[in-house]
Amino acid sequence: MKIEIEIDGKSFEVEPGKMIIEVADAAGIVIPRFCYHKKLSVAANCRMCLVDVEKSRKPLPACATPVTPGMVVRTRSKLALDAQKAVMEFLLINHPLDCPICDQGGQCELQDIALGYGSDNSRYDQGKRSVKDKNLGPLIETEMTRCIHCTRCVRFGREIAGISEMGSIGRGEDTEIGTYVEKSLTSELSANIIDLCPVGALTNKPFRYRARAWELTQHSGVSPHDCVGSNLHIHTRRNAVMRVVPKENEGINETWISDRDRFSCEGLSSPERVTSPQLKRHGQWETVDWQTALQTVVEALQDVTEHHSADRIGGIISPNATVEELFLFQKLLRGMGCHNIDHRITQTDFHYQQAMPTYPKLPVSIADIEQQELIVVIGGNTQHEQPLIHHRIRKAWDNGAKVIMINPVDFEFNFTPTQTLLVENRRLPEALTGVTRCLAESQQDTEIAKDLLQSVAVTPAHREVADALLSAKAPLILLGAGAQNHPQAGLMYALAERMAQLSNGNVGLLTAGANAAGAWLVGAVPHRGPTGLNVSKPALDVQRMWESELPAYVLFNVEPEHDCANSAKALKALSQAALVICLTSYKTPAMEQYADIILPIASFAETPGTFINVEGRWQSFQAAVIPKGESRPGWKVLRVLGNLLSLDGFNYVVNTEVTDELRSLATTNTPEQPAGPWRYPSHLPTVSEGVERFCYWPIYRSDSVVRHSQPLQKTPLSETPVVTMSPQLAQRLGLEAGTEVKVSQGGDAVVLQVCISHRMVGDTVGIAAGFLETAGLAESFGTVKIERI
Amino acid sequence: MSQFLEKIKSFTLWELLVGMKLTGRYLFSKKVTIQFPEESTPTSPRFRGLHALRRYPNGEERCIACKLCEAVCPALAITIEAAPRADNSRRTTVYEIDLFKCIYCGFCEESCPVDSIVETTLKNYHFTQRGQNIMNKQELLAIGDEFEQDIARDKADDAAFR
Ligand code: SF4
Ligand code: SF4
Ligand code: SF4
Ligand code: FES
Repeated sequence: MKIEIEIDGKSFEVEPGKMIIEVADAAGIVIPRFCYHKKLSVAANCRMCLVDVEKSRKPLPACATPVTPGMVVRTRSKLALDAQKAVMEFLLINHPLDCPICDQGGQCELQDIALGYGSDNSRYDQGKRSVKDKNLGPLIETEMTRCIHCTRCVRFGREIAGISEMGSIGRGEDTEIGTYVEKSLTSELSANIIDLCPVGALTNKPFRYRARAWELTQHSGVSPHDCVGSNLHIHTRRNAVMRVVPKENEGINETWISDRDRFSCEGLSSPERVTSPQLKRHGQWETVDWQTALQTVVEALQDVTEHHSADRIGGIISPNATVEELFLFQKLLRGMGCHNIDHRITQTDFHYQQAMPTYPKLPVSIADIEQQELIVVIGGNTQHEQPLIHHRIRKAWDNGAKVIMINPVDFEFNFTPTQTLLVENRRLPEALTGVTRCLAESQQDTEIAKDLLQSVAVTPAHREVADALLSAKAPLILLGAGAQNHPQAGLMYALAERMAQLSNGNVGLLTAGANAAGAWLVGAVPHRGPTGLNVSKPALDVQRMWESELPAYVLFNVEPEHDCANSAKALKALSQAALVICLTSYKTPAMEQYADIILPIASFAETPGTFINVEGRWQSFQAAVIPKGESRPGWKVLRVLGNLLSLDGFNYVVNTEVTDELRSLATTNTPEQPAGPWRYPSHLPTVSEGVERFCYWPIYRSDSVVRHSQPLQKTPLSETPVVTMSPQLAQRLGLEAGTEVKVSQGGDAVVLQVCISHRMVGDTVGIAAGFLETAGLAESFGTVKIERI
Repeated sequence: MSQFLEKIKSFTLWELLVGMKLTGRYLFSKKVTIQFPEESTPTSPRFRGLHALRRYPNGEERCIACKLCEAVCPALAITIEAAPRADNSRRTTVYEIDLFKCIYCGFCEESCPVDSIVETTLKNYHFTQRGQNIMNKQELLAIGDEFEQDIARDKADDAAFR
């Protein structure tokens, strides 16, 4: 039932319960406001939105007045304007009038509204109050004297970030906004308060004073750090990325972006960028021109094909590469006769690859996650892996959904999951089998994988999860990084699918990188070509490539010491290889050792391209700046290599021709059915004894751009390389926090400090990847020996 | 008769004398030519000549890197880079004016909220080398330092009309 109201002489049919300001906003009628924000609860404390409502003696706040039938609103009557002007005057009593030194000048809501509603002169002649600035960490600068107490930042913490870090202290003249005890904000979404703050009280710290809003050129972009594909506005000036702000997209990131998306651009200007092609000659690095470098690459590759064979080349590409790059990379290698192509650099088990769909895609859209009734996350620290998907999960929880976490670590979340099933990492498959057995028994469908199910004992925790799954209408099961990278990933995926079948639910993968879906679709996997067609002879996956110690490797935007699972194996393979070609944006000390040729490629915001996000949405973007120095967009480098190798079909002029080719392939090819059903093992693999490593990528170690962003590295969320263990385990091993220990695995060993955390379970120790210090361990999920030194 | 008169005029060089009369009048009247460089024309306090960046009496530079002058300059002659200084105040790291682009409109001075960038009454300057036309922050501050008294006086003189 709709009701009719009138605003400024126009009538509107609206849903009851809406606020006047929502109706006005939808109709494009401007009502000034400070505290109201469509994504936050209504606080109605700034009073700027006062409007004249007929039959009301006093003006009413439009943001907090629900519409009523026959309501007549005037937003520009004398009463309304007088009220708004009076509020403006009150706000400016304590606000400093020094816009020229304020970083918000030129993009300030208060400045804009003061222009319309302020007076040219102040009647106030007494002292203004001043407030001490707060230190909120390396991302957000404060000038609290400018705060107008709209409490948007406070409400953001409570309602969106899920962690009340900002609050308002004191009353009246003494009101102050800040953290109660001085501390850096720890939320992974914290910097959104920069956009929310209508004045210059909270501003972007790395960007501070570096440019004015009017100097910036705005480009659209897509985040390259996670599978969400958040929409960005990249602000550039004189061919440099100055800052990144969110671009609103209700279906993906709403009005938010994570701090990782916002501040990773600081890594683009890192001195470790490679800006010209380089060759290693007699152990010395030499800068050469592109012509020489490309010629050398071609000759070296032809040499390998002649002396060995093309399938002795290993091609490893980052899942953050664009569709164009991934497509040309596999086309280049396949054109030479090599199918050893993989993007699944963080994974260790590929048993399930034949049964995978053409490309992994969430069964529901990102926006629909918040409508779910039950979400089960297996092996996922979603809050750090995909912050904006986690935000949707939290919204679902807020809407009353049950959220169950099955994890090897009791990750800290910004809400309390309904149930957390904590098991040692190596016992995750056992836990899933237990839950599946409960489900199968309740559904009396125990034939499939009978032996496997019989081999585990059901615990009450398993039954609790199974009961929740059965009572929900269509549960959503999400597999996080911990499940996908697990040495039993295939079995876990199969069990998750079985759980979904038995409970009428759906399974989704929260894939690593920005473009895993694109990588699968273009065939950047060893067993399938573009659009999911099976290749004649399945080739080596990334782990087999390392183990086979091939004579030549081509790495595209991959730093194996940081980015790959089983990093020591990778480093060993690379150091014995006769030829390692790195197409990369950054040069690392390890790369100087193992690489022979470095071709500099464009980084984030420097190349046009396409990402396919986790819900299968294609998002294309243009370059915002030209690549640094001599670097060139990756797809162009691959195209020229294709030409120089005289391969067919490399005559692209613009990058869209590549995506067009892929699209037309996708319409003509029907992907074949997965080759043969998955066969469950008859029993679970034997669980090793002793201390076991759990490997994960901390939020700000996830890719090379992020790792080079200094502000992110200084936040409290950034981690240091340590070995994290439970207090019980530390006690058993006789270790205290901070002790230096030797962590060894087979012949490899690294020295790390001990960190004790009650979030660890049993004999699992957390040793993060993404650090050179931990790269010396060969098994990301193997047993380790820990000795005091 | 008139022919006879013409003859006399031409024999006595009458026309020349008439011309010399004018010459003679100017020879003895007050001169308008000035002896540059020893002398120069008077300039109004509003004269828009070479730019300068000013300081406060305590030596602190006035400019706060608000970039209004850069934005208002119709000739795009001003280039500013800004960053927080060590004391976290807002300061320029680069402040350049290209005097070949500048059209001496004075908008920069008009827009400056702290009277930092000004156009002095200096009008006699030249460049001998390519690149000298771009005045950097140090040069502009140096001009300001040298002529601060003149600038302040000109500003005070003009204040009544603003
Ligand atoms: S800091 Fe900004 S967002 Fe927070 S209350 Fe003050 S004005 Fe509002
Ligand atoms: S005088 Fe005019 S043209 Fe010259 S720098 Fe100033 S604003 Fe630009
Ligand atoms: S000279 Fe004046 S107008 Fe120009 S940036 Fe400095 S303070 Fe702003
Ligand atoms: S916007 Fe309505 S009271 Fe602040």
